[in-house]
Amino acid sequence: MRGLTKRQFVELAGLSIANRILPGRLAAQEAGRRASGSRASNKVIVVTFGGGVRYSETFAPEGLQNIPRLVALREKGYFFKTCINSGVLSHFNSTASILTGNWQRVDDFGFQPPAGPTLFEYYRKQSGAGPLDAWAVATNKSFASMGWSSDRAFGQPYGANVVLPKQLLLEAVQEVVKRGTEGGVANREDVLRRLEGVLSEGYEGVGWTIFQAGRKLDKQVRETLVRGLVEYINGPEAPTSGDELTFFIAREVMREFAPRLILVNFWDMDVAHWGSYSLYLNAITRTDRLTGMLWEEVQSNQHYKDKTTLLVLPELGRDGDQNAANGFLNHRSGDPSCRNTWLLAMGAAVSPGQTDRPVHHVDVAATAAELLGVQAGGLAGTPMRELLL
Amino acid sequence: MAANTPKVSPALQTLIDKGLLDRLPRSFAAFCFDQMKDWDLLFSAEHSYFERLFGLLDRSSPQEVERIFQPMRELEPRMGMNDKTWPRGQFTLEQVDFLNRNPRYPEWRAAVSQVFAQLDPVLDAEIARSGHARLAIVIAPSQLPADPSRMWTRLQGKGRRITVEAPERAEEFLALLLTGQEQGRGAPTIGELFAAGKKGGAHSSWVVESGAGVSRLGGGSPLVVKYSYQGLDSYRKRLMKEVQSVVDAREIAGPRQLSARLKEMKILASEGEAARDSILAEFARAILLSGNGTLLINNTFVEWATVQAVRRARPGLAVVSFGIRNKVKPFSSLLIYADQDATNPIPSQMDTLGTYVDLEIFYQYIWQEFEKYAEYRNNTVYLFVGDGMEEMLAIGPPDFPLLSASRPMKVAAVFGHLKDWLGV
Repeated sequence: MRGLTKRQFVELAGLSIANRILPGRLAAQEAGRRASGSRASNKVIVVTFGGGVRYSETFAPEGLQNIPRLVALREKGYFFKTCINSGVLSHFNSTASILTGNWQRVDDFGFQPPAGPTLFEYYRKQSGAGPLDAWAVATNKSFASMGWSSDRAFGQPYGANVVLPKQLLLEAVQEVVKRGTEGGVANREDVLRRLEGVLSEGYEGVGWTIFQAGRKLDKQVRETLVRGLVEYINGPEAPTSGDELTFFIAREVMREFAPRLILVNFWDMDVAHWGSYSLYLNAITRTDRLTGMLWEEVQSNQHYKDKTTLLVLPELGRDGDQNAANGFLNHRSGDPSCRNTWLLAMGAAVSPGQTDRPVHHVDVAATAAELLGVQAGGLAGTPMRELLL
Repeated sequence: MAANTPKVSPALQTLIDKGLLDRLPRSFAAFCFDQMKDWDLLFSAEHSYFERLFGLLDRSSPQEVERIFQPMRELEPRMGMNDKTWPRGQFTLEQVDFLNRNPRYPEWRAAVSQVFAQLDPVLDAEIARSGHARLAIVIAPSQLPADPSRMWTRLQGKGRRITVEAPERAEEFLALLLTGQEQGRGAPTIGELFAAGKKGGAHSSWVVESGAGVSRLGGGSPLVVKYSYQGLDSYRKRLMKEVQSVVDAREIAGPRQLSARLKEMKILASEGEAARDSILAEFARAILLSGNGTLLINNTFVEWATVQAVRRARPGLAVVSFGIRNKVKPFSSLLIYADQDATNPIPSQMDTLGTYVDLEIFYQYIWQEFEKYAEYRNNTVYLFVGDGMEEMLAIGPPDFPLLSASRPMKVAAVFGHLKDWLGV
């Protein structure tokens, strides 16, 4: 496994960056201590099956084979059988609704930020937590505007660091293709050279919001990032999956900065739009595995063990097989298959169980706010009382 | 509305001139207007549908029309539809976006469904009165790693498995099925016979395939519509290149602007026979640029083109032939509009197991799409075939003789039954 080198990647990069933005993780930890009440040490990780997945390929009887890790985790967690997305069935609005606690109806393609404060902003503004204490690790380029809202009372000063790891790879691969070098994208060395170029020139365009405080990466950080990605790209399994990289970055963020609030937005399953059911199923199983590994990290990381609630849910479903324009390929029909998903909560404070009581995507922010000891006003969602015992 | 009404048939124009569209709810009229605006690029089945729809509304009493549309009419102002957000006769991506983001969108969808729930039975009854025998043959490639007992699992129970005798030369299987003779004889295909018959004509008989094996059979009748993923190779690659260059140049502000640019990317005469027929040329462009993975994955192209052909052209006969999908290559799979063979010299590998999984759900989608429409219900035979396989699944009306076959039959005999069924 290439874990050690990968860890070095963000460890070194993270330390360098943090020192330039604020006095590093100490500041974040200090902010955490200032958070209100007995929940001051609680942490929340929201994991979304981004791109959307149907019940029929997950927790329906015929879907269980695709998600063995989540099936096993369900026994230890609290399972909400019905979590409804009543909002706009696009990726950006769905995730923005999860993060804001209000149904979002902004531009589908990320040209507008969420219209109301995100959980990140509520948390940071009220707790005084620093910028390293709230992260979003996502994939879709439009999610670069997911870290903070257009609300003038909140906004960027209280937003999350947004990292889009797959976009980094994408930029590099595109450049290699454009230049038509010998071997094309099979030439890993060339891909790496381009990655290095992206980090030098265009990293802000690929979502490394954390670096906005400085215009250029210093030499040490850049070389460290390249070293980490060299290992990643030349690893035993050539990365066809952006989610593998998303997991890797999320885990390193946890290890280095131990933020109290993280969104991890996996995305590979959106390959369903290509129209290959088998690729879609493979992606679901991969996300299941990565979610399991994320939970293992929570259990083994002293900053997270026994103080973290993991909330796992699909961003949205996908169209049903019956009477839909083209079934699993799309997610706009508004049928029950598209709206009715599930939510699995894991954590030390979570008593095992399940309920038929329907909850909604907007309830996630309300619940997470309670867990973090934050007062979030004017939310359409309500806390899931089953998790707040 | 009259000032910018689309060019339509005289019968429909008469109804529009009478103000029929103006009396309908704003969003319903705008949607219909948009669908009809490229009248010359619509199939005759689409022309017929709009003529029948508006004819029905014209024949109905004003009170009845008002009753049918009342829920929509009441809902539209509450959604914020007005002359500014919904200019009369305009239905662009702006309106689609308006609907998608509107809190009352689910109610609107329900109201539209309610409208069609009242109109469709009447329209369907008209179709049923002029119904005739139809046929759809869906062919799986020979390389699938599955025996007949593991094929068409989602359609089991809807039809009957028929046992056939494998031909002496396996490569003749499709020729025998589709022409009744070995390939060298050049006999006309069942599709050609149907197109030339009394229920045939232009756009009535279709071949949609991944490769070119089916298109090569028969006498080359120009009446049969043929779309091949392989045959459209040069058009597909040009489209991918053009789209990528548009995206790279960052000239396009977003998906809405990109959509407008894509409409300009028409097939050239050198890129396929479809270029000779403006309706088919536009169909090819739309399939490749609005169908998700149709540029990239052969079987997605086949499925989506078939679904759209059924929805729009309502062919009386369709031969649908899937292929084997290649494995997705590292890195290049990240790029949506990239030719994987060009960007990655690693040899392509077949994904036979993945293809098997992909097709099992596509069989269901294709069958469902046919059965959505009155033209096909109760008078269509569906034959699901594996190239070279000793069993096939037949779904159809009880009077289709093959369903009561008691012993294995030769593949050429199956062709005979299909011919008899269609009366050609």
